[in-house]
Amino acid sequence: MNASHHLIIIALLFAAVQSGTILLFPTIGEIFTERSGVMNLGVEGMMIMGAFFGFVVAYETKNPYLGFLAGMLAGGLTSLIHAFVSITLRGNQVVSGLALTIFGLGFTNFYGQKWINLKLTTTPSQISIPLLSKIPYIGPIFFKQDALVYTSYIFAIVMWFILYKTKVGVHLRAVGQNARASDAMGVNVYATRYWWTFFGGLLAGAGGAYLTIAYAPFWLDGMTAGRGWIALALVIFAMWDPLNAMIGAYLFGGIDALQLQLQAIGVTIPSSLLNMLPYLLTLIVIIVATLIVRVKHISAPKELGTPYNREEK
Amino acid sequence: MVRFEKRENTPVSLKFIIPLVSVLIGLLIGAVAIAVKGINPFKVYHALLIGAFSSKYTFSETLVAATPLILISAGLILVFKMNFWNIGAYGQYIMGAIFSSYFALFWSPNVPKPVMLTIMVLAGMVGGALWAIIPAMLKAFWEVNEVISTLLLNYIALFILKFLMYGTWRDPSSHGFPLSKPFPDNAQLPRIIYHTRVNLGLIFGIIAVIVVWFILKKTKFGYEIAVIGENPRAARYAGMDVAKNIIIAMAISGALAGLAGMVQVSGIIHLLQIKINPDYGYTAIIVAWLSYLDPIAAAFVSVFLGGLASGASQIQITMRVPFGIVNVIESVILFALIGSEIFMKYRVKFDFGKRKKINKQEDIL
Repeated sequence: MNASHHLIIIALLFAAVQSGTILLFPTIGEIFTERSGVMNLGVEGMMIMGAFFGFVVAYETKNPYLGFLAGMLAGGLTSLIHAFVSITLRGNQVVSGLALTIFGLGFTNFYGQKWINLKLTTTPSQISIPLLSKIPYIGPIFFKQDALVYTSYIFAIVMWFILYKTKVGVHLRAVGQNARASDAMGVNVYATRYWWTFFGGLLAGAGGAYLTIAYAPFWLDGMTAGRGWIALALVIFAMWDPLNAMIGAYLFGGIDALQLQLQAIGVTIPSSLLNMLPYLLTLIVIIVATLIVRVKHISAPKELGTPYNREEK
Repeated sequence: MVRFEKRENTPVSLKFIIPLVSVLIGLLIGAVAIAVKGINPFKVYHALLIGAFSSKYTFSETLVAATPLILISAGLILVFKMNFWNIGAYGQYIMGAIFSSYFALFWSPNVPKPVMLTIMVLAGMVGGALWAIIPAMLKAFWEVNEVISTLLLNYIALFILKFLMYGTWRDPSSHGFPLSKPFPDNAQLPRIIYHTRVNLGLIFGIIAVIVVWFILKKTKFGYEIAVIGENPRAARYAGMDVAKNIIIAMAISGALAGLAGMVQVSGIIHLLQIKINPDYGYTAIIVAWLSYLDPIAAAFVSVFLGGLASGASQIQITMRVPFGIVNVIESVILFALIGSEIFMKYRVKFDFGKRKKINKQEDIL
């Protein structure tokens, strides 16, 4: 391989990390929501809300970071609808999650018309991390990214630490495995579930906001294009572990970057087939992951999708 | 203090009151959403009502939109009853449209019309059923989460359709637009109401509702579906083949969604294109829930939501109100509906006063 090939591969993997970041935030968020026993299938809806509000605030204030925070908040607030319906009112979580997706797509379509095709002028700038960015291959791929990508690394590592090494993590996992026993131990099941559902919403919003603020800084109707569902599949692929989520997210980011690259250089494969690739591979991966999860006897949090009722014995 | 007290049995009236109140809440929040945009919600709802139910023609368009909803929701009810979450009617609808269009586009226009239409109906049903059997088998044998698999298959179906429409199935004389050549007359479903687009598909829908009702009420298969939905473990102990039941129910559900796709291309559009409204597949989920999984109620709810969709696509043009408002209203209806299910199982007690009385008694003592 000559030098230009190296450059192409590095550029491709660089793009893979960026595209993967859109998935990494929501995947980590949903891992924690599910760990607490709540299944929120509305990731797509929360992402599109984050994408829309993130874009609008970034456009109006010309500050991408403010936009990112607004996107997170939008995702978080949206998730509270699901939290109220499924935790307090103990409604069906599958239907509530779907309703959340319909709501997000409808809301952004209804209010988003006048923003369509507008472009952001200021996007997050790239920052080279001293020393780390000098590492061959790794440096230019992972450490010449923007601040939001670095935020996602921190989230993955810190959240892994919280999950496995802190009391908060122990309580969270206990609530997801056996809510009644945790309640008896003095853990507030409702508060735990509310908070982690909200957290999942914040991160889904972050993923959506990253899409419209950094990755593709414009607004299009429905532009999350099913990434919320891919993130849900990645939760299973990651076996509910935030560090595994990184592997999954970059793998899919890579496929996305690759299909865009192939289209850009004009290969003869029709674009509709290339566009299909991430969804097809997600399907294959979720089948394989489900089989591995079964063989290894790893299971989803036992209380996943089961509402908790303190008064019922 | 607010307390939930378990009900012995659910009053039947709640089954009517809750959906009605949910719809009202949906319309109310929808009105707020419209007002926030600076548009008069009363004008919008008035125009929507006029656009959906005011004349013979507008009502016929409501029926046109209701037809795929009736077909799809009838099938979804079967699988939802057994707690199998088929979110894939969107993709099954597309596959039904593709499979049936193949015969319309590539078979001779001289095939007798009844023969051609029968083949297209069967092809549409087979296409939808095949697309539904994939996630059913993945779930039945390997426990692959069906919500995610059916959703991903929706996207895959959409890209297959795009691949065909930008590829070999495109009409060379379409000036580059992703349209097939028009269906010949022998591939067009006959219309049943003069001067409207209401076609034989509506009759298919009515038949589907009756068949699903019959399956649920009168057959062993329907009984097993109910048991599996209530308690899969008990069903296994009783010797029921859960995997087989899932696959059969999904095949029927997919076949009906596929038939809806066939009706759309053969009865309404008369060609294959990318925009064939597969979103009916998602709306039908709402229909199924609003009707508490009752196929006959679902037919009426389909007319209501069909009217909402048909009216909204008109105000989108006349009043520039984006179609997304319908999704906002629909999602709020769903939230209200499933959030209210707690009232079917529990009675709300406000026992603040009682406590005080008890305290007073204690004072006396």
